[in-house]
Amino acid sequence: MTQQIGKVVATERAPSTVDEFYFWTQKNLIIKPFDVVKVQHIKSSTTYGVVEEISHITDSASSLAGYISSDFGDVEAITNTDRIGMNYVKAKVIGNTGSIYTPVLDGKSVSLANEEDIKDALGLSEVKNPLPCGYIEMYDENTITIPVHFNSHFLIGPEGAHLNISGISGLASKTSYAMFLMKAIQDKYMKVKDEPDDSVAFVVLNVKGRDLLGLDESNEDLNNYDKAIYTEKLNIEPTPFSNVKYFYPYAKKPEAVTYGRDFDGQRHLNKAFQYKYTFEQDKEKIDMLFTNIDDPNGTMESIVAHICSPSSEFFKKTTWNDFKDLLAEYKQKGETGKDKEISVLSWRKFSRHFNRVFEKSTIFHDNINEDKGEVRLEEAIKKINKNDVLVIDIAKLDEETQGFVFGDVVSAIYDLKLGQIDDRTEDEIPSKIVIFIDELNKYASKDVPKNSPVLRRVLEVTERGRSLGIILFAAEQFKSDIHDRVKGNCSTHAYGRSNAIEVSKSDYQYVPPVYKSMMTRLKQGEYILQNPVFRSLLNIKFPKPIYRQFKNG
Amino acid sequence: MYGENAPHKTTKSLQSLAKRLQKENSSLFSFFLDGSRRVYKVDDIEYQKRIFPIVGGQIGVACCNRKAPDSFGKAIVERHFVLSMPSIATSGEQHPSQFLGRLTQNLNEIERIKRLGIKFSDIMTYKSDKSDGGREEYMDRGTAIIQDKMIDCEKKVVDDLVRKSLLTQDNYLIKDGSLQYQRSGGDFKEMAKYKSNYRRVIGVSKSFNPEFSKDKKNRSNASAIANLPLYHRTPASVFQEGRVGNVFFSVWYVRIREAKYSDSPFAGVLKIEKVLVTQEEEENGLDSGEVDMITANVINERDPVCYGKDQRWANHLYPIFLTENYIKSQFLSDLHFINLF
Repeated sequence: MTQQIGKVVATERAPSTVDEFYFWTQKNLIIKPFDVVKVQHIKSSTTYGVVEEISHITDSASSLAGYISSDFGDVEAITNTDRIGMNYVKAKVIGNTGSIYTPVLDGKSVSLANEEDIKDALGLSEVKNPLPCGYIEMYDENTITIPVHFNSHFLIGPEGAHLNISGISGLASKTSYAMFLMKAIQDKYMKVKDEPDDSVAFVVLNVKGRDLLGLDESNEDLNNYDKAIYTEKLNIEPTPFSNVKYFYPYAKKPEAVTYGRDFDGQRHLNKAFQYKYTFEQDKEKIDMLFTNIDDPNGTMESIVAHICSPSSEFFKKTTWNDFKDLLAEYKQKGETGKDKEISVLSWRKFSRHFNRVFEKSTIFHDNINEDKGEVRLEEAIKKINKNDVLVIDIAKLDEETQGFVFGDVVSAIYDLKLGQIDDRTEDEIPSKIVIFIDELNKYASKDVPKNSPVLRRVLEVTERGRSLGIILFAAEQFKSDIHDRVKGNCSTHAYGRSNAIEVSKSDYQYVPPVYKSMMTRLKQGEYILQNPVFRSLLNIKFPKPIYRQFKNG
Repeated sequence: MYGENAPHKTTKSLQSLAKRLQKENSSLFSFFLDGSRRVYKVDDIEYQKRIFPIVGGQIGVACCNRKAPDSFGKAIVERHFVLSMPSIATSGEQHPSQFLGRLTQNLNEIERIKRLGIKFSDIMTYKSDKSDGGREEYMDRGTAIIQDKMIDCEKKVVDDLVRKSLLTQDNYLIKDGSLQYQRSGGDFKEMAKYKSNYRRVIGVSKSFNPEFSKDKKNRSNASAIANLPLYHRTPASVFQEGRVGNVFFSVWYVRIREAKYSDSPFAGVLKIEKVLVTQEEEENGLDSGEVDMITANVINERDPVCYGKDQRWANHLYPIFLTENYIKSQFLSDLHFINLF
């Protein structure tokens, strides 16, 4: 039985419109933004609305009347009668069962909805290609819990792709939400094994502590409530990720370059590797070391082009040390004869930046010993299989090297998907590869130089990746910092807890004011989602991570 | 003679009693009554070369019930649409009341009236004696008939409450305005019923003519009322209004808001009336304790205020204000009503 909670009020100042309507409720009725209500409408149809704003109003003409009502400012004054008041709710129209969009009429009854109504209203029933993305809890009294599904074609292609997650560190649980979605995707694809044209794999960059270095280990602290949400509501196996491989930066002592403490254990199980970059095969990527260096004249780019040119002296070199020695010669005074197009000053600038990164990084190493689990990252990625999860640890690397590795990962996936690999057939390569990177602002913020090679690669992925099956799941603290072309191409946006300054930016212009302030109060594990399939923004929750959580980072 | 059995010589402060009652969360008043009417000249009719107005009226009487500070709602509502026409219109009829009954029935069967869901309760007549005052006097006579009907409705509502035993010694009713109803042909029996029904009813008037209030030496009491200190009441006086019949009233004044905040000396002063029911009361006046108790409870009704909503905010009691607004909200708009004709 539906619970009637109020009636529509349409006044001269606040009329019902095609988009919104207002209704009153008793002042003690608990209702909150994002709750769905339904209204009787013409031709026996029902209009659904989502609560946007709730105000409490009384018949008090002014604040002064309030003051006078307390015996002219006596804070202890008691009244025999409470001032007459009601709650006044603004709701956004999200649909009508008869597709009638004439405004709802004054005095019509407003009720809470049941589970079926809510699914219909929000477009959650009969979602094609369902992929769990959380659950909604509606109404504080007699709570209804409803699982929410994306149409996977709008998250990981082909209809729409890319996910952007924003929210402040820690409180928003951005990584956990991305992993929750990726686990749901892996689960879905592992259950459906007989579709050769549709498969998925994941490449995840670990940028913080040991966050993602236990993806294939269970979370022992997962409580029964969350377990039940996984199994009963979302139909996701409460098991950690499968087919996980970890790639750590190379160093003689792994602990020097990673926060991971179980390299040997993982290595023993043949799921941990160390990646290196050799001069001979990776020299073309040097430009990605200079992501954040302003290069308006393209001199750094020219130098890298020169280094990679077969006619160049550098081309003959096979080790990083030899390269460094030769570079030292180029920056000597009076050596302009070596290259007439690039000035010594430019060589010096290049050398200075290169040496700065090279000196502190151990991943530039020319000998690869596969028996010890050493790999070239590009090669490892190009061998990715369906349902694989490759975790690439860059947490302890310096910022430039992190950008370098991320750029390399994106390039490698791009090459793989463009078919520039000779030894793999189309069928072997996963049709979709999801890349997850946190702190996207480091590589694709508005402040990153326009000619940054890593930004260029990120733009390629977001603008053309959908058709190739490369999907970017990216997270950052402040969405407003991100390059417009990157966020503009994301079909799905997840907003976690944010702060007041952020939500006042133009990116949040279309978000109703109450939702904006809700964004500043969201709890851990709560998100506001925007996806083309949903008729309005959704306030969803998701259960705690299913994989191992490291308490001290 | 005083309207109470132990009168003070001067005014009496009820501040401490009011405070004590408020701390105990006790309130004497549970019901609030207000009647309202709107009259319209809907047409003219000619008899004997004289033009008489036909007066239409909407009558509304509401009684609201307060069960708790946050629970205030409708208890009883009476709504009527009526017409008032000159008595000469029924001059040829042997049974004028039957004729008017049939006329009302015919009116209610008009398709347009039915469609709008409107039902006229009564068609009444006003005296069509020749007048010196011109046409406006007929209008006033027509209006007075509608006013009487409203008063009858008010009495009926009080009667309903009494029948349901809702008015008790802990559940009084405040009626907006005076209790001194003009006698409308009531006999002794009706008068007795009136008295007993109004045992738990007080009338609180926002506006009054202070000149009518006299002291023992029959001098005007107006300045004493104007100078009433905050939360003080005057001694109750007894009053018999000839037009009401053999009914005595105890009448007193109380200041519920300081004069310095008001725009006139009488703003913030309320006139309280109560019918003297028993013979003992008629002889000795009301029990002074009861007068104090009623007054202290009225004082405790002073907040909240309708400041900014009603010019008379200093004299308004909020539950009465709500009742008044409620009944007014039930009326058809003036344009709507006039366009019925």
